[in-house]
Amino acid sequence: MPAQQTNQPLPAGFQLDRYRIARQLSLGGFSIVYLAYDEDDQPVAIKEYLPNSLALRGAGQIAPAIAEEHLPAFRHGMKCFFEEGRALAHLNHPNVVRVLNFFRANDTVYMVMQYERGRTLQEHIGKHKGAIREAFVRNVFTRLLNGLREVHAQRLLHLDIKPSNIYLRTDGNPVLLDFGAARQALGNDGPMLKPMYTPGYAAPEQYKAPDQMGPWTDMYSIGASMYACLAGAAPQAADRRLENQALQPAQERWPDKYSMQLLETIDWCMTLDYLERPMSVFELQKALAERHHVAHQPSWLDNLSRHFRQLIRK
Amino acid sequence: MKFTIYQESRIGRRRNNQDRIAHCYSRDALLTVLADGMGGHLHGEIAAQIAVQYLTEAFQREAKPRLDDPFRFLASGLENAHYAIVGYTDERNLPDAPRTTCVVCVIQDNIAYWAHAGDSRLYLLRGDRVVTRTRDHSRVQMMVDDGVLTEHEALRHPARNRVFSCLGGDVAPQIDFSRRTPLKAGDVILLCTDGFWAPLGNEALARGYATGDVTAATPAMMDCAEASAGESGDNLSVVAVHWQEGYDEDAASGVATETMPLDAHTTQMQGFSKGGGAEPDLTEDDIERAIAEIQNAINKYSK
Repeated sequence: MPAQQTNQPLPAGFQLDRYRIARQLSLGGFSIVYLAYDEDDQPVAIKEYLPNSLALRGAGQIAPAIAEEHLPAFRHGMKCFFEEGRALAHLNHPNVVRVLNFFRANDTVYMVMQYERGRTLQEHIGKHKGAIREAFVRNVFTRLLNGLREVHAQRLLHLDIKPSNIYLRTDGNPVLLDFGAARQALGNDGPMLKPMYTPGYAAPEQYKAPDQMGPWTDMYSIGASMYACLAGAAPQAADRRLENQALQPAQERWPDKYSMQLLETIDWCMTLDYLERPMSVFELQKALAERHHVAHQPSWLDNLSRHFRQLIRK
Repeated sequence: MKFTIYQESRIGRRRNNQDRIAHCYSRDALLTVLADGMGGHLHGEIAAQIAVQYLTEAFQREAKPRLDDPFRFLASGLENAHYAIVGYTDERNLPDAPRTTCVVCVIQDNIAYWAHAGDSRLYLLRGDRVVTRTRDHSRVQMMVDDGVLTEHEALRHPARNRVFSCLGGDVAPQIDFSRRTPLKAGDVILLCTDGFWAPLGNEALARGYATGDVTAATPAMMDCAEASAGESGDNLSVVAVHWQEGYDEDAASGVATETMPLDAHTTQMQGFSKGGGAEPDLTEDDIERAIAEIQNAINKYSK
């Protein structure tokens, strides 16, 4: 395999349309995200369409070089970028990142998004390893699912949900970020743009059978993200699980720490067979909201473990 | 046989039309066929064209002027169409197999026989109600059957366009067959792609054809479907048959086949549109238009 080329970010201070670039926030396979300031000095996040495998910007360059033979694929990818912009532009939801502007420059296209203050769920997990409470998990994900429901209603799949793409605003409200992998559920997939996925959070069908992707694919990632909250680290990757299932079900791992109902819900989302997962956000939200019925009725396992503890005490 | 038939295919808001439709009749038998090439796969329209062409040719070979066994015709026709697409794929060494849905109906002796793979549908309409329709080979349809979704929710479900059975590809299609279904005078047999039924829904569709005037109702209903699908409108296609056996002697636009010679066929089928095949590139205009459209949406929804 040829070594992956890396694209250079635009330099700090570069005037891009009516925005001034401050620094690179992240670099993905398809794009670079920058922190920039608009003419009122308000911070924004700008995403630049720049697929690694098709367009190269060397040091000191502004417009990327695109080989003649890559032009059709580059344009095709641009279409997907438009789809993302189009879908996000129709979404105005507190739990989904907001698109503010969309423009063309430097032979490519840019999407301007609201810049959020706070920290990612990933950072939060790192800080509170193993000490995240059930109420936090239910709270964050129930609200996040409100946003995801809107996304799915636009016939868009996120396909890269993971703790580092879930932003916790300073007011605690989660925001779903980075729709770089997002795809129109019925979209036309280009043959030249490789799908990307994050080990641990991507569903098995993202590796093996992309034609089977659906809302249930995002459900797997939601489950894996909840699992990561409890475990303090990413769960075993789905492709590895298919070969050698070594992931301990949440129900076995934390029966004393979290309610059975939450653990069951997590394991349900992470079922390898997509047919067995929750089919829609709504179904999952229902499960996450069920706690009130369960809280008052300890499960047989709770009873058993209480029994056990009493035995030990005796 | 006496019937009125109307067929039309529109591109919707897509860049190319991957739907194919055809009908063909002898003195004693009528064939209608419709295929929706799959957008996510290369050359979907080729798969659709092969399916439609294969079935009409088989019909012309075998309906002389009757089909010996309509179900056997449907089974072997669809299966062979599948292998014809697979053969084309192998021959051209295509990286991704072209695929298509297909729904096909034969009417002979006032009895309808049909079969399908995928989510293109056949409706049998009588008065203003749906007598029966095909069940899509889609997960969404399974969810409806399992009671997880209502019909109404299914129309908006993000996965509603995903089908698990189709012609072409490396998995043999699952084909569902109808019963032998006797027709009454005035019945409407409607074959349509999801670009038509999805934006309309079953009730609106049945109401729209209540008059039985397929020639007037079809374009009007297609207008409705296009309007309600809006910007994301898929290709939409319809073959509609108004069955008039024994009644409506002087229906002016109808077809009477009694006078046809025994070995004659009448066929109507579209060919490829010009430049069909690979999707055209984004032009400069397309890019400008896409950006303008997104900016409009941003302005509209940021209120």
